[in-house]
Amino acid sequence: MSNNLNTGLQRDTATIVMASLFIIVSVVSLWDTTHMLDSDSYVFPRAIAIAMIILSLSLIVWNLVKPRMEKSDAVPEASTIRRVSLVVVMLGSCLAMPWLGFLIPGIATFVLLMWIAMYDEWTTKRMIIYPLIAVVIVLGFYTLFGNILQVPLPVGTLFE
Amino acid sequence: MPGIEFLLGALTPLNILLALSGVVAGTVIGSLPGLTATMAVAVLVPITFSMEPTTALIMMGAIYTGAIYGGAYSAILLNTPGTPSAIATTFDGFPMARKGQGDLAITLACIASVTGGLVGATFLLMLAPPLAEIALAFGPVEYFWLAIFGLTLISALSKGNLLKGLIGACFGLLLACVGIAEISADIRFTFGSQVLLGGIETVTALIGLYCIPVLIDLVATPDRHLKVTHKPRGFRFIEALGLAWKSKFSLIRSSVVGTLVGILPGAGGSIAGLVAYSEARRTSKNKENFGKGEPEGVMATESANNATVGGGFIPTLVLGIPGTPPDAVILGALLVQGIRTGPTLFTEKGSIVFTFIYGLYLATFLMLPVGLVIGRYAYQTIITVPKAMLVPTVAFMTMIGTYAIRNSISDVMIMIILGVIGWILNRFGFSPSPIVLGLILGRIAEQGFVQAWTIGAATGELWKMFFGRPISLAIIAFILLSLFYPIIRSRFSKTIGEAGNVE
Repeated sequence: MSNNLNTGLQRDTATIVMASLFIIVSVVSLWDTTHMLDSDSYVFPRAIAIAMIILSLSLIVWNLVKPRMEKSDAVPEASTIRRVSLVVVMLGSCLAMPWLGFLIPGIATFVLLMWIAMYDEWTTKRMIIYPLIAVVIVLGFYTLFGNILQVPLPVGTLFE
Repeated sequence: MPGIEFLLGALTPLNILLALSGVVAGTVIGSLPGLTATMAVAVLVPITFSMEPTTALIMMGAIYTGAIYGGAYSAILLNTPGTPSAIATTFDGFPMARKGQGDLAITLACIASVTGGLVGATFLLMLAPPLAEIALAFGPVEYFWLAIFGLTLISALSKGNLLKGLIGACFGLLLACVGIAEISADIRFTFGSQVLLGGIETVTALIGLYCIPVLIDLVATPDRHLKVTHKPRGFRFIEALGLAWKSKFSLIRSSVVGTLVGILPGAGGSIAGLVAYSEARRTSKNKENFGKGEPEGVMATESANNATVGGGFIPTLVLGIPGTPPDAVILGALLVQGIRTGPTLFTEKGSIVFTFIYGLYLATFLMLPVGLVIGRYAYQTIITVPKAMLVPTVAFMTMIGTYAIRNSISDVMIMIILGVIGWILNRFGFSPSPIVLGLILGRIAEQGFVQAWTIGAATGELWKMFFGRPISLAIIAFILLSLFYPIIRSRFSKTIGEAGNVE
């Protein structure tokens, strides 16, 4: 029970923090509109930013006046390292593609993500088959987008 | 009713083959996150340049129809709408899939899409010219209010509380302002970054906010992506047909809603799906199950978004104003073919138009077998592929799909960053749906707002401009209803409960 209560209070504080962040975003947006010359450019974003401030303040007041228990979706045993690794690998791939082109970072990203998402044991069979599948899938996408759909995929400045 | 000769004209072996190819290609492209119906039509439209105008139109209509339906696969199986019009499909489609009912959800989506497509095509066939007049009655203010209506609806329907939904919608509207302003060309909210000059692309944000949080959670635990409680049971067609028959009125109503919203240029399938979903929930006997995997919710959205295909063609063909973004591409292709759309099209080029409409029926009917077969394989793939394969494949699809929109690596980075922001916001009860819809409707809302503001300020009747027109007032009434209906309903049921206790 007390654990539930703690969760509820934490969530309320978090909501207030999030609402405050939205107020900061609105204020920064309002400040940015002061640099705009034409009223057609700023009238709409200003109206929206003001609406967002009012709504965020209402959310803060609502939480202070009527704190509500909200169920957290968080899974306690979830791996933060894997989550962060996923994002880092994807962003790293984006940074590498202009230099190395599409194929090499594509295959490397696929294999790394495969490794991050692997919860079963890496048997010899898997260690041979999975990377092969990765290469086939990346080459498949390369052909579909690069050759059939005619999307100009990055070539990589190192190979130009 | 237009003659049988047009029907026979649509049913030539070549037209049937091209319609089938179009539906297959559209469904596959639409199912990939990042590749929208607009992109499906745009990518495949050059193939039609060498064809006869009628055949070309039939193929384009088939691609469009297939792509709109294809968006449901990833919405149901990955919680990522393949196209913006499938946003509301995620509300009940994904919960159904998580409960082990993904195969049923896909079959329901297919039946509903076919129903919606048929209703939309029937309206196009029977009532195109008078219905097109509705689109002309909508001015900038009405479009502004319509966008706000869409946002209040999604805020009320999404997970979490209403205030959080509305804040998310405002955040989405602000994101839509990033980049060079369309009306005055001022640079907004880029903070000196060249990457943001082009603005935040809608589909980029859609993929990021929906798909990346799913991947982040998927990779964090060893649990299966979807629960499978039974052995594969085929298409579950009879079961789905039974459910569809039970909800037949909701299905037809949603299809009519989809057609009518589709007529309004720019409104598109996303608003149609939301309005239909909201209506279905309001009138359903199982309203408490909506959002938890209610089959009626999936059917309402899918019938409405496919009905927008026929609905969108009404202003496109009668007025020359594209009803939806893919219609704009088709309009361009028609101009290449030497066909000028407009009020006289139905009389001067009746043979082309009516043959095309029958072709749309053909494509819609073909969608049933095609959709069921592709859907079954998509479902089997998702439930059998190991997580170590699923995560990199989906991640890779999101990256290349986002890149393909504008051939920009920066867009992929924006997508990933938005995904992380979306995941954090989701943890604190801010649903991604209002943010995405804010981004989608931002342009319509801003154009309407600024035009109305300018006209109102110039004439000194600002208040009257926003609140003085009958259609605006009707939409405002719906906005207020969508905002306060839950409160009124709970008060009403409390009063009834108290009265019952007294008795």
